[in-house]
Amino acid sequence: MEQKRHTSAEYERELQEIKDGLLYLGALTEKALEKGSVALLERNSDLAREIVCQDDRIDRLDVELEEKCIRLLALRQPAARDLRFITTAIKITGHLERIGDMASTIAEKVLILNEIPQIKPYIDLPRMVEIARGMIRRSLDALVREDVALANAVRQEDAVIDQLNEQIFRELLTFMMEDPHKIQVSLYIMQISKSLERIADHAEGIADMVIYMVTGKSVRHQPACAEKG
Amino acid sequence: MKIRLFYKLFAVFFLTGLVVVAIATTLLERELKSAFIGWIGDELTAEAHIIALMPPDKILLHAAELAERSRSRLTLIDAAGWVTADSELHDLELDSHLNRSEIQEARVKGLGMAVRYSHTLRKEMIYVAVPLREGSQVTGYVRMARPLREFRVSIEELRNAIFDILLLIVTISLLIALVFVMKAVTPIRTLAAFTERIRAGKVSGMIRIKSRDEIGVLAQNINDMVAALQEKIRAADEETEKLQALFAGMAEGIMVLDARGRIETVNRGMEEMLGRRDAEIAGKTPLEAFRNVQLHDALELFRETGETVFREIRLEEARTVVVDATISAVRSEGDGKTLLVFHDVTRLKKLERIRTDFVANITHEIKTPLTAIIGFVETLQEGALDEKERALKFLQTIRENAQRLSRLVDDLLILSGIELGEVKLNLAMANVEEAINAVLAVVAAPISEKKLEVVTDIPKDLPAIAADRDRLAQILLNIIDNAVKFTPPGGKITVAASPGEQGRLTVRISDTGIGIPEGEIPRLGERFYRADKTRSREQGGTGLGLSIVKHLMTAHRGRMSIESAPGRGTTVSLAFPLFRDPA
Repeated sequence: MEQKRHTSAEYERELQEIKDGLLYLGALTEKALEKGSVALLERNSDLAREIVCQDDRIDRLDVELEEKCIRLLALRQPAARDLRFITTAIKITGHLERIGDMASTIAEKVLILNEIPQIKPYIDLPRMVEIARGMIRRSLDALVREDVALANAVRQEDAVIDQLNEQIFRELLTFMMEDPHKIQVSLYIMQISKSLERIADHAEGIADMVIYMVTGKSVRHQPACAEKG
Repeated sequence: MKIRLFYKLFAVFFLTGLVVVAIATTLLERELKSAFIGWIGDELTAEAHIIALMPPDKILLHAAELAERSRSRLTLIDAAGWVTADSELHDLELDSHLNRSEIQEARVKGLGMAVRYSHTLRKEMIYVAVPLREGSQVTGYVRMARPLREFRVSIEELRNAIFDILLLIVTISLLIALVFVMKAVTPIRTLAAFTERIRAGKVSGMIRIKSRDEIGVLAQNINDMVAALQEKIRAADEETEKLQALFAGMAEGIMVLDARGRIETVNRGMEEMLGRRDAEIAGKTPLEAFRNVQLHDALELFRETGETVFREIRLEEARTVVVDATISAVRSEGDGKTLLVFHDVTRLKKLERIRTDFVANITHEIKTPLTAIIGFVETLQEGALDEKERALKFLQTIRENAQRLSRLVDDLLILSGIELGEVKLNLAMANVEEAINAVLAVVAAPISEKKLEVVTDIPKDLPAIAADRDRLAQILLNIIDNAVKFTPPGGKITVAASPGEQGRLTVRISDTGIGIPEGEIPRLGERFYRADKTRSREQGGTGLGLSIVKHLMTAHRGRMSIESAPGRGTTVSLAFPLFRDPA
């Protein structure tokens, strides 16, 4: 009996470790994104380099976390909810790792952008960063609270990011057509915008997994807003 | 109470009574029986001896009469054991009586007695036999017998009477015991009820039991104990309250993590720092409650080393707070709890940053024109002086930079003057429209250069304000100059004035410039703070303009507020107090 209780406490601790690992990874990626935004706005290359360096840490944590999940699957054979949680965790850590990579890509582009003159003040990009950060944060909040409504709200937000991305794209297109000297800068900004859009997609993916974890239903590849007819 | 003490005690008394009655009755019955047998045996012996004195033939003759007189059965037996006469039996076909135990005993000892069943008469009888002698020769035996039944009935009557009396005594004593037990149990019950109330926390006064026996002592002891306990509880409560007040009232944020690393409790200071209630985050891990990388790293370090960790942590919850965090083990309990103490250093950090920024900025601001001046002077020294046209251009640049330095020093002087309260305002009646037009005239050149549209919306009958005219001009110039600087060519600047509420007049300067991010607005009044660092400096600003305006407005008892949206423009509102004629 004592042995059994001990084992279950140990098991619970392992599950919590995985959960905390996910949240920590989330916090790191969110921080990286925030720093990227600051690096861009303040033309702070040191900060950008810091983000690129930190991506290794995110990658390492991702691998560690995935190993933990697999070990737990193999040794404890979790069932039902726990099983869903572990599989969800494996997916979420993948999403977070990709977000980390995107943040690193953004930082690399910021490093280049900081070397050439700015063509216009950044207005939409910081907004995109804010929304994307909010999506990551809320999707992980939804994970902590097992809140399906919140996860659904995160899925809705993806549309805003997509719109902003397109808006930036059109704007930059006109810049490029007007002045060929602005093509280089525009392309880099476009890549940043695209990365942010991808980050939002990954955040949406996390929200999908949270819904799956709580309800057991998969909502992936379903439009967040049902078309009204 | 399963089996009450009362029933236990009473049952013991009751059973004891029953056993005593049973034993007493049995013993008495046996005693009575042997006494009766002895007594009747004696009587029979005496009769037999008397009869034995009579000549045998006379006995034979009067056998029936003797038997009747002595109310016994009389049997005469000859030496050979043959019955020669019997008072109850007329048919003497009896076997030899020599083997009867009473006869044998009589032959040997001279007197025989036996209690046995008579087959002849079919009843239990008591027999006594004595020998008849002629000289030393035994010639026969006289045997007297009586049935036992007679006195057995009387024994039974006697026994029943004794039994009844005993029963009566036992019943009475049981009644007495009942009263006694009740008297003994009642105070115990009172004590039990009292202690139960104490356990439930409803302590009210003392228990009153008058008896002076052990129960009385017990009651007194309980009273003393309760009093002592109450005193201890009160002291403990007081102590807890003190600690609780200390814990809640501390400005420092305190968080306790349990052995599993989950948040056990936080105090009010911590709640305020985090903008969360204790109930919201209790039971969660710090990562679940607020995903803070720095805090988690610090906690990990503490878990690895087990040594107290001091860290500066930026909390970005309800508001951004910089804290000095101390993470240590809760030592007294030794059960793996962790104590986190957060000391809010946001204000200190801000002041520190303002100071370091100020030093960095002022050196930068001085260094830039100085570098230019030194550079151009050196170029002139190295021969450029000979080329008159270039030299004049260089001199012009040197002059511009020197002027910029001078402006910077002037601004700093004004600022420190205001801060030290050395600048005396000469408050007088001032006309806003005149002041605005004068300022617009000063910036006319850059306005036309950037093809800016300037709209003024100033009603004719505005009341006068109380202001120092020179300072008013300086305030307006700084703001309008900013608007001109940060509005792209072709933009629009609107200067409007209107009587505001509460005896104030508001001047609004709006532009269609680049705007200021919302987060930066509160910092605009700081010295050398620039929302857009590169651009501002290119425009030749000292970084002190808004700071001066802010201070001057405060000195005028006015107020400055800024609204802005990035990309759309900025509106600066200046609220001046109206002039009141002292007369």
